[in-house]
Amino acid sequence: MKNANETQNKVTLGSSTTGASTQKVYLATPKKVTKPVAKQPQEPLEEAPVVAEQVKTKETAEGPAYTPYVSKKKGLSLTGKKALSGWLFCMPFVLGIIGIYLPMVIKSIEVSFRGSKGNYDYLSFDAYKLVFFDDGRFTTTVLDAMGDLVLQIPAIVIFSLFMAIILNQKMTGRTFFRAVFFLPVILSTGIIDAIDAQIDAGSMEESGAIDDNTGASDGGLISSLDVEMLLSNVNLKIGEFSLVEVVTSLINNIFKIVSRSGVQMLIFLSGLQSISPSIYESCQMEGATAWETFWKITLPMISPMILVNAIYTVVDLFTAADNRVMQGLGGYGGLFGSANPGNFSAGIWVYILLVLVVIVVVALLMKTVVFYQRRD
Amino acid sequence: MDTVKVKRESKKKIKVDFERAPLKERLKQKFLSANFLYKVVFVIFRTVLLIGITFIILYPYIKKILSSIMSISDVKDATVILITKNPTIDQYWFVLSENNYIQAFLTTFLVSLSVALIQTLVCALVAYGLAKFKFKGNSIVFAFVILTLMVPQEALKNSMDAFFRQITMFETTLNPISFILKPLQDWFGMFENGYGFSDSLIPLYVLSIFGLGFKNGLFIFMLRQFFKGVPDELEESAFVDGSSTLRTFFSIIIPISIPMLITVFIFAFSWQWTDDFYTSIFLARENSAFVFMKHIAATPESIAAMLKNETQNISSAYSAMVLGTASILIALPLIVAYVFLQRRIVEGVERSGIVG
Repeated sequence: MKNANETQNKVTLGSSTTGASTQKVYLATPKKVTKPVAKQPQEPLEEAPVVAEQVKTKETAEGPAYTPYVSKKKGLSLTGKKALSGWLFCMPFVLGIIGIYLPMVIKSIEVSFRGSKGNYDYLSFDAYKLVFFDDGRFTTTVLDAMGDLVLQIPAIVIFSLFMAIILNQKMTGRTFFRAVFFLPVILSTGIIDAIDAQIDAGSMEESGAIDDNTGASDGGLISSLDVEMLLSNVNLKIGEFSLVEVVTSLINNIFKIVSRSGVQMLIFLSGLQSISPSIYESCQMEGATAWETFWKITLPMISPMILVNAIYTVVDLFTAADNRVMQGLGGYGGLFGSANPGNFSAGIWVYILLVLVVIVVVALLMKTVVFYQRRD
Repeated sequence: MDTVKVKRESKKKIKVDFERAPLKERLKQKFLSANFLYKVVFVIFRTVLLIGITFIILYPYIKKILSSIMSISDVKDATVILITKNPTIDQYWFVLSENNYIQAFLTTFLVSLSVALIQTLVCALVAYGLAKFKFKGNSIVFAFVILTLMVPQEALKNSMDAFFRQITMFETTLNPISFILKPLQDWFGMFENGYGFSDSLIPLYVLSIFGLGFKNGLFIFMLRQFFKGVPDELEESAFVDGSSTLRTFFSIIIPISIPMLITVFIFAFSWQWTDDFYTSIFLARENSAFVFMKHIAATPESIAAMLKNETQNISSAYSAMVLGTASILIALPLIVAYVFLQRRIVEGVERSGIVG
């Protein structure tokens, strides 16, 4: 019954969707034209040997079918042809974006403007008011989550770089260690992750009461007391963050950090492999130590990968299901009190925009340090 | 040096006699140098670190495996922490027999295999198009790839369900995909139960065919970087020899990128295997015909009956163990496949030469 309603009242938001569709029509035309080209493998065979001479024969053979891409030579130039093949290869994704993805995104955004009564007729900003002003639960949760991530992102990037460098060295048992380090990429996902979370929640219920007053978190590798003893002379405090807490939380989250840095390690490994060994060789000849080689060669050469990894880590952590915001948004309730798809959509799109802002900031910050090798 | 004497033994061999330093001296030089000390310290440090982190990664799995053979009496016994006193295979038995493991295994295997194959192929096609062809809009398409990577799937949960439940909502006449899907739905009479395509496997395949499946943006990105590293000369010479772009792709590009494709395939396969997002949207009907791996993660009835008489603490601890056992059973096929294929993963990514 909802759906029938929707189709009739679609008009209000129709403008945006039709915009997308008209664009699609434009995009779709070259594909229909190319299809015959792709299905005739012999055709390029004929014209292949000397391209310049063959232009004429192609002209007569193809003729007006290529109107959208006709150049001054009245045939399809090699560049035009390449462009067509490019579109052809990308076509599944382009069609999917236009036909499935954008409609879903638009629908999801549309839902957030419906208001609490699910009224389709007018634009309502109720959900957004709730997100920003209601009792600040959304904003505080998002800020808290960002605070967590500020620590975790550098930790993951540095850890994965470090491990990638170690796993790149020749040693006995390297295959085994690599296999173990990438295991979480395969296993800590989906249902297995969900089961682990369930088990953790259960065990916390049981043991939570016992350890409460000692300040030691059960199951953690170390307690804050140990670190405090170790760092008693260096009691650094910046605002609310004390060094002790930072170190404790990082070490106690080590499993999370390790299991979240699998893909990053792979990317770093591939980056390390692509550095030419002759650079290291000449460095050695000049008498550079391993330490100098790392800072002067490895780090600059791998800096593009650091950018990629930083952005990947931001995306991965912000969209992870065990993230506080995602947990709060899940099941519609949580952060907003009332179960309403509109509130959920509003919250999540505001959140996505924030993540985009964070990514742009990270990218701009990293751009100043990234070194690109010139490839001519 | 006059101590060295070279004499010809045969045509290709020479024999050199020289006075070697005594063994003691040689050993001294080898093992008492600063360089050797540095190496030893480094190797010890590295090994300890690697073993430590390996332990951190493996500990949850070890714990699960050890507690999967515990019986209820071990849960009650406070002296038992990791090693059981009365090992049983009850947990495995009940999960296997009562949770439809075999059926779930078969469906999940077939679905994961086909979905992963489709996703790998489609992502490779799209990535190749993005990496090797210059056309207007290339960067826009790539921006959309990144967008799909960045939008968490939960954001689209409702609209995804709605899209496949009743496609009319999305302007059938203008949208080519719903234009195809709508008649199909009518044909199958799928509107009758009110679930549309939402209660079938079709949405999974539709999403995969259009490169919109789980983390497909990442696959396209990885493959694009890989294809960028493939030298253009290969395609140029293929072109000169008269091969079409599609043929070049299938008979030249695909064979040389097998390691990378295997990597992507493993990711796609295992993420589909452990998926609880798409299967919970699309096959969420109570008496759905499909049993997936996620259905295994439940406490079997006979264990629930066994736990009725126990205290709250013990029953929750024991059912957590049973859940752990279920997750071992879910992960086991993946681990077996991983042991055989993991070398390929590293190989594939190493060769990719991903450059930012």
